[in-house]
Order: sequence, then C-alpha cells, then structure tokens
Amino acid sequence: MTTAVFWVLAPLAAASGFMVFRFGSMARATIALLVSFLASGGLLIVLGLAYLGTVVILMMVMEMVIMAVFMIAYMMNPAGLMPMAMFHNKRASLAISLTVFALLAAGIFVTRWPRRAGTAPRDPTFRLGEALMGPQMLTMVTLGVTLLATMVGAVVLATHRGRYDRFGDDLKRRPPTDPARGGVGR
Amino acid sequence: MVTSAPLWSVLVVPALLAGFATVAVAADGLLAARAAHRRVSPAVLAAPLAEVPRLLAAQRRVTPAADTLLWRLGLAAVPVAGVLAAVVIPFGQLTASRMSVGVVWFNAMEVLTWAGLWMAGWGPNAVLPLIGGYRFVAQGLAYELPLMFALISAAAGAQSLDVADIAGAQGHLWFAVWMPAAFAVYLAGVHAFSFLGPFGYPAGRDLAGGVAAEVSGPDRLMLEAGRWLLLTAGAGMAVPLFLGGGAGPLMPAWAWSAVKTLAVVLALVWGRRRLPVIRADRYAELAWVVLIPVAIAQALAVALVVLTTGGTP
Amino acid sequence: MGLTRLLVRAGAARPHVLVAAVPGGTAVRLAAEEQLRRRGWPAALTPADADVLLVAGVPAPGIAGAVEAAWAAVPAPRARAQVTSAGEVSAALDAARAELAAGAPQHLPAMSGGHDAHEVIRGGHGGGMGGMDMGMPAAHGSGAVGDGDTGHGVHEMAGGHDAMSGGHEGHGTGDTSGHDMAGMDMGHMDMDMGTPAGLPMARRGEDRDGLTLDRLHVPLGPLLPDWPAGLVIRLTMQGDVIQHAEAETAGVAADTGSFWTEPWRHAAAGEPVTTGAAVRRRSAAHLDSLARFLSVAGWDSAAAAARALRDDALGSGPSPRLGPAVRRLARRVGRSRVLAWSTHGMGTLLPGEAAATGMSAAALSAGGDVTARYRRWCRELSDVAAVFDDASPLDPAVLAPPRGRPDGTRAPSAVLLAALPRLLEGAEFAAARLIVASLDPDLDEVSPAAGAGHGH
Repeated sequence: MTTAVFWVLAPLAAASGFMVFRFGSMARATIALLVSFLASGGLLIVLGLAYLGTVVILMMVMEMVIMAVFMIAYMMNPAGLMPMAMFHNKRASLAISLTVFALLAAGIFVTRWPRRAGTAPRDPTFRLGEALMGPQMLTMVTLGVTLLATMVGAVVLATHRGRYDRFGDDLKRRPPTDPARGGVGR
Repeated sequence: MVTSAPLWSVLVVPALLAGFATVAVAADGLLAARAAHRRVSPAVLAAPLAEVPRLLAAQRRVTPAADTLLWRLGLAAVPVAGVLAAVVIPFGQLTASRMSVGVVWFNAMEVLTWAGLWMAGWGPNAVLPLIGGYRFVAQGLAYELPLMFALISAAAGAQSLDVADIAGAQGHLWFAVWMPAAFAVYLAGVHAFSFLGPFGYPAGRDLAGGVAAEVSGPDRLMLEAGRWLLLTAGAGMAVPLFLGGGAGPLMPAWAWSAVKTLAVVLALVWGRRRLPVIRADRYAELAWVVLIPVAIAQALAVALVVLTTGGTP
Repeated sequence: MGLTRLLVRAGAARPHVLVAAVPGGTAVRLAAEEQLRRRGWPAALTPADADVLLVAGVPAPGIAGAVEAAWAAVPAPRARAQVTSAGEVSAALDAARAELAAGAPQHLPAMSGGHDAHEVIRGGHGGGMGGMDMGMPAAHGSGAVGDGDTGHGVHEMAGGHDAMSGGHEGHGTGDTSGHDMAGMDMGHMDMDMGTPAGLPMARRGEDRDGLTLDRLHVPLGPLLPDWPAGLVIRLTMQGDVIQHAEAETAGVAADTGSFWTEPWRHAAAGEPVTTGAAVRRRSAAHLDSLARFLSVAGWDSAAAAARALRDDALGSGPSPRLGPAVRRLARRVGRSRVLAWSTHGMGTLLPGEAAATGMSAAALSAGGDVTARYRRWCRELSDVAAVFDDASPLDPAVLAPPRGRPDGTRAPSAVLLAALPRLLEGAEFAAARLIVASLDPDLDEVSPAAGAGHGH
C-alpha cells in the first residue's frame, strides 16, 4: 500500500517540478510547484513523519499563494501569452542537471543505508525533533521569533514612506496620512 | 475511547457533512425570510435547496482567454478542502481517520482554500473575480495566524495534536470555558475560511459576487456548496476542540456530537447576519496588532495552567 | 433529456432574477424588488447567476446595448421580461417562471449580428465576458477565443490588462453610440501578434508606491447591482486601486423627472400634495439609498429590513407601525460601530471643497466622509418618522426633496456627479463602491445635456 502511494506521489512530484519550467504562465508554474511540494509532503507522511509532512503541506500552500501574487506582480508577461524563452543556455544547463541527477541517483543506490536496529518508535516525528534540536530547544524558539522580527524589520526599512511622511515633520499629526487607513488607527 | 472506523467510512464523511450543511442552508434561508419580513413556513426551509437542481441544469460559461484548468481546479478545491478537513473529526466514538496530527491536518486542509480561491479568481480572466481572489488572499493573511494560535491553545491544553485526545481531555471542564479567547478567534476563523458572513469579502455584493461573478452551472454549485461544507466542517471541529466532543450524560456519544455540532452550526449561521462585511484592509491591522498578541497570550496562559496543574483544571 | 427537464422544472421553483434598472424605470425597479422579496426569489448579482433578466423601464438607445450584453451573458435556461410599468411586474415574473419551467434547454444564446457559430459548439458565452456593463474588461467578439486558446490567453496581471487603450468600437445592435456596450471590443481590430486573443497588452504606469504596474481600464455600470441606474464610471485601475475616474451617463432620456421628486413637482404645478405623502416619498428615497449602501457594505439583513420599510412607506394608507419601525432601523444602522469602523475616513468631502464645486446648501450636507453621509440619512429618517400621516399641504420651503434643492438650473445629483471622480481617485475598489453608494446620485434628475459629458 505504501509502495503504491510512493509510486504515485514520487513521479508526480518530479513531473510537476519539471512542468514549472515548461509552463509559460506564471500562475500555472506556481501551481505546478505547489503540486510538487504537496506530493513531497505526502511522501514525508508515507515515511512515517506525519507532523513534518502535514506541516510541509500547510506551509507550502500558503507560501506558494503568496509567491504567486509576487510573481504575477513583478514578472513581465505573467500569463505566458507572448512567446517567451523560459530557459537560457539550454545545452549546458541540461548537461549539468542530468550529470548532477545521475550522480545523486548513483549515490543513493550505492550508499550502504543503515538497517533499523530495534522497532520503529511510537512517534518518529517527536524522536526526530528531539535528536535534532533537543539540547537547543530554547535557541530554536528564540531564533524563530528573531527571524520573524528581522523579516518585519526589513520590510519596514524598505518602504520609502517613513515616520515623517506619515506623522508630519513634528511627528504630531494624528491620524497619520496613509493611502488607505488601517483598522486600528495607528 | 475514540477508534478509527473502517476505510469505507471515508464515504460517510461527505454525506454527514452534506447533511449538516443542508440544515445550515435551510436555517440561513429561514433567517433571510425573517429579515425580509416574509412569512415563514416549511416551504421557506426547503426553498434554498432549489439551488441544487437549478445549478445542475444550468449552462456552464466560458470566458474568453480564461485559464480553464486553474479555474476549475480552484473551484473544485473548495469543497474538497471542506471534506478533507472533516475526515479527522470524531463523531461520537468513531472517526474516519485517527491521525496523530489531526489538528495540523485540519489546518492544512482549510488552507487549501487559499490556493483554491486564488485560482478561482485568476482563472476567468475577468476583473471582479480577480479582485475577489486577491481579497481572499489578503483576508487569509489576516485570519490565519490567530486561527493557528487558537488551535495551538487547544492542543496545548490537551498536550496532544490528536483530535480525539483533545476531546477526551475535557472531562472536567470544556476548553471553551477556560480558553474563551481561543474559542472566539476560532469561530471567527471559521467564518473567514468559509468566506461567509462578516468575512464574505471575497464574494461580496460590491464585487457583484466576486469569485462567483462569472461562474454558473455545476461549477457554481461546487463553489457555493464548498462554502457551506467548510462552515460545517469548521463547526464540527469546534466540538472536539472546545466543547468536549461526544461527552455528556444520558445520550450516546454520537447523539451528543450531533447536538453540539448542530448548535455550533446554527450559532454560526445566526452570527453571519449580525455584522456588515469586514474589509480586509481594516481587518488586517486589527488581526496582526490585536488578535495575534491576544491569541499568543491565551496560548501562554494555557501552557502555564498545564505546567502548574500537570493537566487540565 | 428527461432528467434535465426534471431538473429545470425543479430549479424554476425559485429562479434568480437580474433586475436591469434603466434610467426612468425607478418605479418599476421598486415594484420588482418588492415582488422578489415577497416571493422569496433571490435577486441575482451578475448575469452568470441569473435565470431571468427583468428590464425595468424602457431602455433608451444609449443603454440598450448594455442590456443586450447582459442578456447575452445569461446562461440557459433563461427567460427575459421587459416591463414598462410597475403594475405589470407580477404578471411578467409569473410568465418568465412559466417560460423557464416549460422551455426546452436552449444552448444558443440569441446574439444579434455578427457572431460565429463557435458559440453554438461551445455552448458558452463568447458574446462577452458576462456583464460588460458589470465592469468586466473587453472581450473579443467571437466565442472561439474560449476554445482552448488558453496558451495564448490574455491574463490580467496584478494591474490587469489594458483592453481599452486606443478606443473601441460599439456593438452593432443598430446604434453607434460610443457608450453602448460600455466598452466592449467587438471589432476584429487587432489580429496581429502583439495582441493575443484580439486584446491588446496592458500598458504600464507608476502606482502609489512607486512600482510600475499594469493599468486596467474598466467601465463600472450602468447595470451593476446596487448602483445608480444609468451611471457609467470609467476607471483606470492598478490592481484594485483607482488611479483615474470619469463619470458619464448612459441612456438618460429627456426630462421625465425623477420618481423621488414627484410630490415637489406636483406641488410646483399647483396640485394638492399633502406633507405626509411628501414625507413618505422622501423617507422612501432615503431608505432606498440606505438599502443600496448597506448592500454594498455587505450588511444584508439590515438592507433587507430597509427595503421592506421602503416598500411599506411607498404603500398607501395609514400605517401607525411604520414610524417606530423606521426609527428603530435608523437607530440600529446609525449606531453600528462596526459599520462606522469600516467606513470612516473614506471619501471625505470637505465643506470648503463642496462649496467650490458649486454645491447648494442642501447638497453641502453631503460633506464629510461616508460615515457622516449615511448617518445623515439615518438622522433625517428619524426626524420625520412621526409625520408619515400628516395631511397638511406640503410646504416646499420646509421640506426639501431627498437629495436637496436644485442649485439654480443644476440638479443636486448633477453636482454630486461632478464631485464623484475626484473622490474616487486613489481609493480602492471597495471604498469606491461605498463612496458612490453614499452619494447615490439620481440620474433621472440629471438632464441629458448636463450629464452626457465627462464629469471631470
């Protein structure tokens, strides 16, 4: 049963990943990438890592939708309606990618993977998390919040409208002048 | 003790969901008739169900230069998301799929509406659906994080991501009682991901139907049915998460599940009409600046309670 | 076939009706909305959702094209009804329902003039992307475009595509007015490679954040739901932010006068008019504007209540419960904090600017933002709720018409139209709809000569 599911999901992931570069439409390319990620999440679930797989699905749907918004905003010709070359340097890149794929596949088949000693743990995700992050849990939590703060700070720094544009030269104007008012009136 | 039902029960889930959704639609029709000062009779309850044959027999539309693949895929994703989200909900003592990460699965499936509605907006190559699709993305960014923290609060209260465990951990006190902020945020989130009521912004009347503006026929039925299925799935999930699951005196567990689900569904349908549509440009700031800190504080409170009492109060 | 017939008959029990309100047809539109409310039939928002197209009023040549485009976009099974007077509405709706229940499912949209058979094969609606008049960008005339041309489809980017650049031809339903199809590109103008699917590529422009995004030219109206009948606003949008707006009128016939100012016209002509009748008509006007505004704001239950009260106010005979009910509704809407939170700060018309555009004293009270305007309606409803049955003669100096008194020769609605485009610039689409709904100009008051030009 798991083998059957694997043989459905794995080619789907590879094929839709390939289609990302064949589609001329940015929307379709993004959705193809989403399908590839969903199939990868499914593969993780098949591997027994239920939490990781489900979280991959959850995160990737949200991220791909946001990526679609930006791709369509910033790319020229996002619907692929004008003939456009999606690849460049075709021969060299094909050669490189095929070589790398062959090397990786060879590596996978040639490596001696360790055999399982004992039985599978009841909650493989928990064990995996503990093994990877156990002693550093506090660091991980802090890092997560720091990353979020960094992203928010980067966006704030990047906008060209600053405090003085919003609140006036003496920073006293209330409510601030914004093109569209927010709901809390900051 | 909640057990996983045999595999064919996966077919029962859509049927059960459709049953509750029908009740929701009928109740909504009743409230609409009352609001329009019309006399209510049993026919009023059945009237909204005339949509089904009407849409099944209607002609499908195409729009010029549409991306039909994405359009149909997006519309289909809405009911599929609702049904998939519901497979982890325990009904009484049975659940179609007892996943150890049921809460995360529910969250992942309702997030599929993000992709679905964006595609449904992009597909028809028309202005109003496109604006509707993007409105849903904006609304999604606002409602999703508070909803996730509310789900985390419930999971932290039971120290498990398994929905059946969460239902079982409410023997002494329902989570809705000592996690009221999480419960309120969750119910708002249900309205938001089924884009009904105050969060009907993507399909709003000012957009002449928004994502539904160019759809007719069976596709429209999928979209409309999908909204109600999502609402019902969200209401069904509220029962094990916050209202104690199938626990209760006298009646069997499935009866209590049904009663509680019905109560939440009717409360959501009633609440749908109380407020005007909340626009995402006003709501986003409120959600990020007010609701997320509240939801985080709620999760913190729950965690402290669990740590100090070693369980639930 | 039998199953389809059965489904059609079952579905015809509750058809969705698209009420296409044309200028001059206010009374018919009100009667139609009342009938739909009594029968429990939902009013469709777009042709895609409609089974019956009810044309309320006699469409003037300027708007006939838009009506035809809307009809072309309604999917089968469908029925059409043209109603010229309020009393005919009920019979027309019954006839339409019978036609729906009995008719064979048609898959041939009845297009007039110049379309290929591709539509027949496709069974779809190549004749337009449904509701040209609903504000969709132009579509190529032939339905063949829908056939699997997706690889070459024109897609709207975040800013949309510019389908109107370089002008467009009117649809050939027999008249050549440029506002016919509200911007439908029915020609075979662009068949070269630079314009896939016959539609030109979008042009780009700077947006409010300094990004260069595409521009979309979209006409809003004239048949949009909850929209002043006959108003067409041509927008240039980037995403859903409006960069530029121009207001026009479509299909406004010769001076028939507005339905809402009838008592004042009769009084001016010397006929006996009671204050009660005038107050009823005025309150009904405010309730109608409020109902449309609440629909646009998404508060369906309050909008339905407002419509029900409007129908009661327009009815004849004394109704002692009407006054208190109106006051209750006005209080409920006026005090709603969520609605105020949603709308405040939008569409602000400062009194100084209002005076500069030549607004009369009465129309000046339309100053403030959207919240102030709908609260003004609520206040005016509450103020006169006690005198619905007053039998004293009307004194026009005391009781003004709903939208204000004419400013010299300019109707108050013409002044509101003049103020609209500036208020819309920089607003997002939802805000724009709310601003238009809060001003709610009545195009029947506006004479064709004054309104046909650009408002800006």
